[in-house]
Amino acid sequence: MHDLHLHLLRHRRSLQRWGLFFGVFLGVILTSLLVMAQQPVTLNLLMTAPDAQPWKQGLIRDFETQNPRIRINIIEGPNATNLLEDLYTSAFILGDSPYDLINMDVIWTAKFASAGWLLDLTDRVSPEELQAFSPKDVEGGRYNDRLYRMPIRSDAGMLYYRKDLLQEAGLQPPETFADLIRISKTLQEKDAAQWGYIWQGRQYEGLVAMFIEVLEGFGGFWVNPDTLDVGLDRPEALQAIAFLKDTVKEGVSPPGVTTYQEEETRRLFQGGQAVFLRSWPYVWPLANQEGSPVKGKIAIQSMVHAPGQTGGSCLGGWGLGIAKSSRHPKEAWTAIQFFTSREAQKRFILNAGYVPSRRELFTDPEIVAKYGHYPQLLEVVDQAVLRPPIAQYAQVSDILQRYLSATLTHRLSPEQAMQSAAAETRRLLESGKQAA
Amino acid sequence: MAPLTLEQRDRRTAWMLLLPAVLLLLLVFAYPIGRAFWLSLFTKNLGTELQAVFSGFTNYGRLIGDGRFWQSFWATIVFTTSAVILELLLGLGIALVLNQKFFGRDVVRTIAILPWALPTALIGLAWAWIFNDQFGVVNDILLRLGLIRNGINWLGEPALAMVALVFADVWKTTPFISILLLAGLQSISPDLYEAYSIEGASPWQSFRRITLPLLMPQILIALLFRFAQSFGIFDLVAVMTGGGPGGATEVVSLYIYSTVMRYLDFGYGAALVVVTFSLLVIAVAIVSFLLSRSSHTKHSGAA
Amino acid sequence: MTTISNSQPIATSQPSRHKPKMTWRSILLPIAVVLVALFCLAPVLWQLQTSFKVNQDISAVPTVYFPTRYTLSHYIELFTRRPFWRYILNSAFVSITSTALSLAIGAPAAYALARLRPRGEKIVMAGILIVTLFPGILVFLGLLEIVQVLHLGNNYLSLIIPYTAINLPLTILVLRSFFQQLPKDLEDAARVDGYTIVQMLTHIVLPMTLPALVTTGILTFIFAWNEFIFALTFITREDLKTIPVAAAQLGGSSAFEIPFGPIAAATVLGTLPLVLLVLFFQRKIVQGLTAGAVKG
Repeated sequence: MHDLHLHLLRHRRSLQRWGLFFGVFLGVILTSLLVMAQQPVTLNLLMTAPDAQPWKQGLIRDFETQNPRIRINIIEGPNATNLLEDLYTSAFILGDSPYDLINMDVIWTAKFASAGWLLDLTDRVSPEELQAFSPKDVEGGRYNDRLYRMPIRSDAGMLYYRKDLLQEAGLQPPETFADLIRISKTLQEKDAAQWGYIWQGRQYEGLVAMFIEVLEGFGGFWVNPDTLDVGLDRPEALQAIAFLKDTVKEGVSPPGVTTYQEEETRRLFQGGQAVFLRSWPYVWPLANQEGSPVKGKIAIQSMVHAPGQTGGSCLGGWGLGIAKSSRHPKEAWTAIQFFTSREAQKRFILNAGYVPSRRELFTDPEIVAKYGHYPQLLEVVDQAVLRPPIAQYAQVSDILQRYLSATLTHRLSPEQAMQSAAAETRRLLESGKQAA
Repeated sequence: MAPLTLEQRDRRTAWMLLLPAVLLLLLVFAYPIGRAFWLSLFTKNLGTELQAVFSGFTNYGRLIGDGRFWQSFWATIVFTTSAVILELLLGLGIALVLNQKFFGRDVVRTIAILPWALPTALIGLAWAWIFNDQFGVVNDILLRLGLIRNGINWLGEPALAMVALVFADVWKTTPFISILLLAGLQSISPDLYEAYSIEGASPWQSFRRITLPLLMPQILIALLFRFAQSFGIFDLVAVMTGGGPGGATEVVSLYIYSTVMRYLDFGYGAALVVVTFSLLVIAVAIVSFLLSRSSHTKHSGAA
Repeated sequence: MTTISNSQPIATSQPSRHKPKMTWRSILLPIAVVLVALFCLAPVLWQLQTSFKVNQDISAVPTVYFPTRYTLSHYIELFTRRPFWRYILNSAFVSITSTALSLAIGAPAAYALARLRPRGEKIVMAGILIVTLFPGILVFLGLLEIVQVLHLGNNYLSLIIPYTAINLPLTILVLRSFFQQLPKDLEDAARVDGYTIVQMLTHIVLPMTLPALVTTGILTFIFAWNEFIFALTFITREDLKTIPVAAAQLGGSSAFEIPFGPIAAATVLGTLPLVLLVLFFQRKIVQGLTAGAVKG
C-alpha cells in the first residue's frame, strides 16, 4: 500500500513535471509565433553587385520607411548578367530558390515563366495601369499572354554620332545604311576621325542585340514568337550581314570590330576615334563626363534603316517578377507596386541616372532638366524591337551568335551560315512544338 | 534446414560487406547512366514547359545536325590527344630523371607530384592569370626575350586558347603519369641492364629494348586513365576560358553542362550524355584490348 | 605484383653506373632536375607572389618580378568581404566526412573482394574498374534529378554522397591490394579462435592496415577537396560553397576588372592544405596511387 502510494505520488510529480514542460513549450511556440507575426517579413532580391549600391541607397530605403513591416534583403550576385541568369537557374532547378523578388533581364522572362518558376501577375494589374509603360517593355514581360514581369528599368540600343563633326562638314545625320557608310567615308577621308562606325561584333549576346536592329532595318525577322517561324535564311538577313561585312570591307569599321564588346567600342568612341557608335544609354553619361574628349559633342538617334523601312532599337532592360516558391507573394507585390510607381521611379532616376520604364518620366520637366537627352531617348525606345520572347531564347540566341560570328570572321559564307542557323533553330523549336 | 557450410556463410558475409558499396555505386553511377538512356528518348525542355514527352530518336536526329556538338566533339578530341601525348612524353622524361640518383632526390620527387594534388579549378585560375593578355607573365617573358613585339591575347584567340589549356593540363597531370611510370621503372630488374651493357649496348639501345617494352603496361594504364579523364575535362576549361572564345574551347562536357543547366534541355542533354558515354566506352575498349595484348606479348617475351 | 615503394635503392638500376666516360650525364642530369623542379613549382610560386603584391605591382607593365612592397590586403579582403572561413570549413567538412564514409564502406568491400571470393566477384571488380574511368559530367544529369527529388539541393549530403561514391573504386582497389599482402595465417588463427569475419575485420585486419587506411584516406581527401562540377551545381547558397567553386566565382564577380590579387590569395588558401599533405605524405600518396592504378 505504502509503496503504491509513493509510486502514485512520484507518478503525479512526474506528470506535473511533464505538464509544466509542455506548458512552457507551448508558451514558447506561441510567443515566438506572435513575435514572428509581428516581425518584419524579409524579401530576398538578387542583383548584380554594381546595381546593389544605388538600389540600397535609393529605392530600398524609401520603401522600407514606408513599409516598416517589410525588409528587403539585397543579395549581391556576379556582375556579368549571364552569370546572374545561371545563378537564378541553378537555384530554381534545385527547387529551393532563396529569392522572392526576381530581378530579370528582358530576355529571361519567357524562360523563367515557361519553367514554371514565376507567379502569374496578370490579374494583379489592370490594362490601364500597364498603359503607363512602354508597350514593348510590357510585352517583354509576357509569356503565353500572361504577365510575369513588371518593367522597372528600360534600355535600348541606339546610334550615337559626333554632331560636331557632322555640322562642320555640313552633313545631316544619317537615315539609311548607305548614308551611314557614305558619311563615315567622307569624314574619314577628311581625317576627322580614324573610323566611321563602331559596333559590337564579338560572339556574345550583344552581337545578336546589335544584329536584330540591322535586321529590323532591312525589314527582316529572326523568330516569330507566335508561329515560331524562322526568318534567318531569308534575303533580309543576308542583306543585314552584307551591310555589316561592308562596313569592315570599306574600311569604315576596324577589322577588330568582330572581337569587340560594349566597353571596347565605347573607349574608341569616347576617345574621339570614331564618328558613329551603336550602343546603349549607359554610354551617354560616361562620354559626357569631365575630361572626356567628346564631351558635349555627341548626339543620339535611333538606328538607321534601309529605304522604306523603319529603324529598330533592341530592347533591353530590367523588370521584377515574383518567385512561385516565395512565401510572401503579397509583400513582394507591394514592393513591386512601389518600385514601379511614378514617384519612386522618378526619385530613383534623378539619383541613379537609369532609364525609366514609365513613358511620362522621359519628358518629366525635372528629369529633362537633369538629363536633356531623355526626350530623344523616348523616340528610340518607341522604336524598340524585342528579341523573340520565346521559352528557348537562350539556345536560339547561342545558335545565331555562333553562325553570325562564323560568317563575320569569314569562316562561313553568309548563305551557308544563315542556312545552318535557320535549320538548327527550326529543329530546336520543332522538337518542342511537336511534343507540345 | 541444413546448416550452411563455412564457405557458404563466408560468401553470404562477403555480400553483406560488399552490399553498401555496390548499392552506392549503383545509385551514383549506374542509375544516372541508365536514366540518361531512358530520358534521351523524350523531349523535356522549355518548349514543353519541362514536361517529358516521348519523342523517340528525335534528340539523336537533332544531334547529328547540331554543328555545335560536332565542334565541341572536335575540340575535345584535339584537347585530349594533344594533352595526353605531351603528358606521356614529358611524364616519361620526368620519370627517367627521377629514377636517377642525385642529391635531394626525395625533395624533387615531392615537388614533382605537387601539381597533381592541387585543385584543378584553382590551378585554372592561376594559369588564366599567367596567360593574361595584359599583365600575364608569359607575355612579359616572351616580350623580354624579344620573341614577340606585342602581347599575345592567349585566351582570346581560338587556337592559342587551346594551346594554353593543353599547357595547363599538361602541367597539372603529367605528375600522375610520371608517378606511375617511375613505379614501373623501379620494378625493372637492374640485372637486365647489366647484361645488356656487357654486350656493348648504348643507353639509347637499352632504353628501346628493355625500358620501353617492360614499361608498356604502365604506359597503357596511364594512357587509359588520362584519356578518360581528359575526355571528360570540365573544371579547367570552365575556369580558364569558359569554352570561349566563340566556343573554340568548348569541350563536350561544357556543352552538356550548358544544355542542362542553362537551356534546361534535359532530353537533349541526356542524348549528349549517351553519345559521349558510348564513345568513351568504345575508346576504353580499344585501349584495354591493346593493354591485354601488350601484357600478353610481354609475358610471352619474358618467358 | 607487390606494391612498389619508391624508397627502394635505385642506384643499382642505373645502366651507366660503370661507365665514367659518360660525363654528359653529370651535366645534363642537374639541368634536367632543375627544369623539372622549376616546371612544377613556378606557377604555384608565381601565384603565391601575386597574392602578396600590391595592386599597382600586379597590373604593372612590364611585369614586376622582385616587388619592393608586400601586402596582406588581398587575404584580408577575402575574409572581410566574403565568408571565406565558411568556404574552408565547408570544404574540410565535406572532404573529411566523405573520406570517412568511403573508408567505412570501402574497407569491408575490399576485404570481401580480397579474401572471401563472393559470387559475382569478377563482375563487381569489372564494374569498379570501369567506374574509375567515368567523368563526372556523365552522371551529373541523373544525380541532379536525384537531388531534385530528394530535396538535397544546398545540402552537404548532395556533395558527400557523390564524393563517397566517386572515391569508392579507388578505396576498394588500394585497400584490396593491401589486404591481399597480409599474411593469411593470422586470420586463419583468428578463425580457429572463433572470431566472426566482422570481428576479425574490425579487431585484427583493420588495425594492422592502419597505414593503408591513411594512404587511401589522403587520396580520397584530395579528390573530394578538389571536386568542382557537383559543388558548382548542387550548391548555390553562399554559406555552403566549397573553396574551388567560391574561388572560381571570384573571377566572374566582376565583368570588367578581374580581382587578380584576391583570386591569387584564394588559390593559395585553397591549395595550402593539399601542399601540406603532399609535403608530409609524399611517399604514401605515391604508394597509394601506384597500388590503385597498377593493381587496377
